[in-house]
Amino acid sequence: MNAMINKPIFAAIFSVFALSAAGNATAQSTTAIMNGEVHTAAGAVIKNGDVIIRDGVIVQVGADLIAPTGARVIDASGKVVTPGIFAPLSSIGLEEISLDEEANDAGPKRGDGFPLGAALDAVDAYRRTSTLIAINRAGGVTRALMAPDPGDSLFGGQGAVIDMSGGVNSVTKPRAAQIAMMGSGGASRAGGTRMGAWALMREYLDEARSYAANPNTYIRRNREERFALSDLKALGAVVSGGQPLIVYINGEADIRNLIRLKTEYNLRVIIAGGSEAWRVAKPLAAADIAVILDPMANLPSQFEDLGATLKNAARLNAAGVKIAFYNPPGFGAHNLRLLTQQAGNAVAEGLPYEAAIAALTINPAEMFGLDRRLGSIELGKAADIVIWDGDPLEVTTVPQVVFINGVRQNMDNRQAALLSRYRDLSRGALPLAYRGGE
Amino acid sequence: MRKLGWTALAVVLLGACTQEAAEDAAGNGVADSGATTDAAGAEAPATQTVSTPDTVRGAEDSGEHGAEGAVHPPLDPYPSTYEPYASGATLITGATILTGAGERIDNGSVLLEGGKISAIGAAGAVDAPAGANTIDAAGKWVTPGVIDIHSHLGDYPSPSTASTSDGNEATAPNTAEVWTEHSVWPQDAGFTRALAGGITSMQVLPGSANLFGGRSVILKNVPSRTVQEMKFPGAPYGLKMACGENPKRVYGDKGGPSTRMGNFSHYRTAWIEASDYKKQWDDYWKAYAKWAEKDNAKDDAEDEGAEDAPEAPSRNLKLETLAGVLRGDIRVNMHCYRADEMVQVMDMGKEFGYKVSTFHHAIEAYKVADYLAENGVCAAMWADWWGFKLEAYDAVNENAALVDAQANSCAIIHSDSATGIQRLNQEAAKAMAAGWRIGLEIAPEDAITWITANPAKAMGVLDQTGTLEVGKMADVVIWNRNPFSVYAKAEQVFIDGAMMYDRSDPKRSPRMDFEIGQQDNQHTGGAGQ
Repeated sequence: MNAMINKPIFAAIFSVFALSAAGNATAQSTTAIMNGEVHTAAGAVIKNGDVIIRDGVIVQVGADLIAPTGARVIDASGKVVTPGIFAPLSSIGLEEISLDEEANDAGPKRGDGFPLGAALDAVDAYRRTSTLIAINRAGGVTRALMAPDPGDSLFGGQGAVIDMSGGVNSVTKPRAAQIAMMGSGGASRAGGTRMGAWALMREYLDEARSYAANPNTYIRRNREERFALSDLKALGAVVSGGQPLIVYINGEADIRNLIRLKTEYNLRVIIAGGSEAWRVAKPLAAADIAVILDPMANLPSQFEDLGATLKNAARLNAAGVKIAFYNPPGFGAHNLRLLTQQAGNAVAEGLPYEAAIAALTINPAEMFGLDRRLGSIELGKAADIVIWDGDPLEVTTVPQVVFINGVRQNMDNRQAALLSRYRDLSRGALPLAYRGGE
Repeated sequence: MRKLGWTALAVVLLGACTQEAAEDAAGNGVADSGATTDAAGAEAPATQTVSTPDTVRGAEDSGEHGAEGAVHPPLDPYPSTYEPYASGATLITGATILTGAGERIDNGSVLLEGGKISAIGAAGAVDAPAGANTIDAAGKWVTPGVIDIHSHLGDYPSPSTASTSDGNEATAPNTAEVWTEHSVWPQDAGFTRALAGGITSMQVLPGSANLFGGRSVILKNVPSRTVQEMKFPGAPYGLKMACGENPKRVYGDKGGPSTRMGNFSHYRTAWIEASDYKKQWDDYWKAYAKWAEKDNAKDDAEDEGAEDAPEAPSRNLKLETLAGVLRGDIRVNMHCYRADEMVQVMDMGKEFGYKVSTFHHAIEAYKVADYLAENGVCAAMWADWWGFKLEAYDAVNENAALVDAQANSCAIIHSDSATGIQRLNQEAAKAMAAGWRIGLEIAPEDAITWITANPAKAMGVLDQTGTLEVGKMADVVIWNRNPFSVYAKAEQVFIDGAMMYDRSDPKRSPRMDFEIGQQDNQHTGGAGQ
C-alpha cells in the first residue's frame, strides 16, 4: 500500500476491494445472508431474515434458516436487505458525458437528415465499461433499461435491459422496449402540435401493421419514403403487442389519448413522465398502464404540468397503478443511484414504504416481462441483492454489499479512485499522479 | 427542466451550465446599508449631478470617491422596498436547535420578537413576553432559514418557455452590464416551492454562458408584486463569471473566446479596462474635491479666477460593475469546475486586486481544498451531480466534506435547480454522510452551516441572517424531525419573524398568479404541492 496513505480508512477501503475481487472468483458457490431486515418486494418484511444463494439463484428465504455447510456467510444483522435496484428508464451504457457528442450515443439527431428512429437498437452502442455502470452499481443499482433518448425523432429506438455487472455478457434482454416522445416534445417533432404528433404516431403504427401483415406486398407497392422500412420492421414488435412502448408524456389530455391508442391498437404502453397522471389514475389502472415518474416533479414546468404534484406517486399507487421512478430527462444516466432518494421523497408524501420498494425493484421487472426471473427476493429468482447500512431510502445510507446474479460485486469505481488519490493533499515524495490506480 | 424533449436535453444540460451561474466575489462590504442614504448632493450643480442621488455608500467607504457635489453613479437605483410582514412575539420551545453558528441546543428555545431573534438558549432559560405565541416544538428541529447561493428562480421561471427564459444574456462573452433583477419574475411558482423547503433567502444569478454574466441579486423569499419588494435590504451585489467550457462553447464560433486561454485573455482585458475606468472616476473625484476646496463651487465666487468644475467621465454600465468589484463593493461568484482553473482565477484576482467570493459548482474543489482555504474562497457544490459535461467528470461525493475539513474553509451546498432548492437539507445530508464514511466527524450542527451561515457569509449578509444569533433577522425553520433525513419536512417557515409558511394551514401557503384559477387544480397548489 502506498506509504502516503496511512490512515485506517484507506486500509478499510482497500480491504473491501480485495474482498470484492475474491467474491468474483467464487461466483458459483453458496452464500448465506443471515439476520438482515429483508424487504423481499414479494410480501411481508422478514425481520432477522436469511437469504441463501446458490449458483446465482435464490434458493431459500426465511427466518431462522441454517447456513449450508461451506457457504460464505454474511452477517447482515442491523442491516437492510432488498432486491437490487432496477432502473426502468435511462441512457446508461450509451452515455458517458452528456454534452460531449463523442461520448454520448443516447440521442440521435436528425438535423443532418438522419432518417431513422425506431430501428435504433441500444445494444449496438452499449459500452459495458462506462464508469457510470460501476458508480451506480456501488449505489445499489443492479439492472437497468438502457434506452435511447428520442433525440430529434418521434421514436428513439429500442432499449435493452442490462445487468450492472459491467460484464461482457451483461445484456439481460435486448429490444425490451421501444421509446417514443409525445406531449409537448412530440408536438415539436410533428409540425408543432399535439394533433400532428398523434397523427404521425398513428401513421407509423398503421404502416408498421401493414408491413408486418405482408412485408413483400408492402415493399412492392408505392409508399412514402419518410417511413423507413427498418423503422417499420422494428415497430412490428410494438404493434404485435409484445414489446412495450414507453411514451414520454405528461398532460392529462395526452394521457387520455394514450389510453385510447392502447385500446385501439392493442399495444402495451408505459408512461414516462406523467406529471398529471394522478388525474387519470383510475383509467390508467383499468388499462393496466404503468407510469415511470419523477416523484419530485412539482413545478408547472410547462402548461402540460400544471397538475404536477409531489402526491403523484402516492395517488397513482393508491389507485392501483404500477409505478417506478426515473431521473428525469436532462439528468442523464449518471445518478440512477438517487432513485432511492426519489423513493424516499415519495414515501414522505404518502407512498407506503413497501410500495416504494416495489417501485424500485419488482415493478420495473414486470414492465419488461422479467418478473419471473428478477425484481424480488423469492425462490428461484436471480440473486440481485443489496445489503444496506440502514434504511435504503434514507439519504445518509449506502449499500455495503451488492450481488448481481449471485456474484458479489466489486464496489470500486472511478470516483472511489479519485477520492483515494486526493484524500490527502500533502506533498509527498512523488506527485499525486503516482498515487492510486496501481 | 424535465420534459422538454430532447432538443431540450441539450438545453437542459447547457442549463446545468447555463443556469449554473457563477459567482461573485468577496468584496468588503457594501453591506453597510446606512451609508446608502446619503444624498450625493441636493446642492450640487445641476449640470453635474446624476438625478438619482441615492447611494453614495462609497463616499463613506473611501474618501476618494466621496467628493460632495460631484457626480456619483447610483449604486442602488432600484432599491429594496422589502418590509417584513407583521409578527408578534413567537416562542419556539422544546426543539433541537441547530444555531448555524456551530452549536446544537437540545431541548432549546428561541424567541422571535420584533422580527429579530431576541433570545435563544435552553428551554427553561428563555422567557416569553406576555402575549407571545408559544409553539411547542418538542421532537422537532429548528434551524436558521435555508439560503441558496445559486438559484435561477425568477430568471428561469416556471413555466419554462421561450417567453420566460430570461436567465442568460448570451449575446456577448462579456455582459457585465446586465442586472439579474431586471429579469426576475416575482410570480415564479418556484419561489413558493422553495419556501416549503425552508428557503428564506437566495442569490439569483445570471447564467454561465458568458465570461462575465452580469450582476446577481439577493432576495428574501417573500412573495411580492415587484422584485424590489423582495430585495434583501443592504445586501451587496454579486457578479457572475464563468470558467471553462460554457463560454468557449457558446462563443467559440461567434468571435470567441474559443479556448480557455482565450477566456483568460478576455477576462484580463476586461479587468484592465475596468482598472482604467475606476481610475478615471477616482481621478475625477480627487480633482473635484480639489476644485471644491478652492471655493470654486461657491455661488459667490468671482467670475474671474473661477475654474469650471471638472467634468465627470461618461458612465459605462459594464465597467461600472467591474469597477465595483475592484472597489470591493461587488462580490465575484464564479462558475468554475476544474481545480486548475480555480487556482488560475485566484491568481487573476491577485493580479487585478480583487477577491473571488465563491466558486460555484466547484466539482474539483476537493483537489485544491488547501488553496481555497488559504485564499479564503468559498466553494459552492452539489452533493453528487456529475458527468453532464467533461469538466464535471471528476466529481466525488466527498467533495463538500473534504473542502470543509480544511481549516478556515467555507463549504456551501447550492442547488442551481428549481427542484434542488426545495431540499437543500437532503443534499447537505448526503454530503455529510459521505464525509462520515471517510472518517470525518461532521455533526448536524456543522453541516447546517453549509446551507445557512456559509452562503450568508459568501453573499455578504451574515451580519443579518444565516444564524440564530440574537439581533439577527428572525429567519427560522421548524422541521418535523432531523432535517438531514429524506423524510424531513419544513413545517413552518418564519421570515423576519413573520410566519410565511405553515404546512398545516393553507392560508399560510402562497400560490402565484400563474397557478390560481386553473381548472381542477384544487387538489394541488400551494407551496407544499
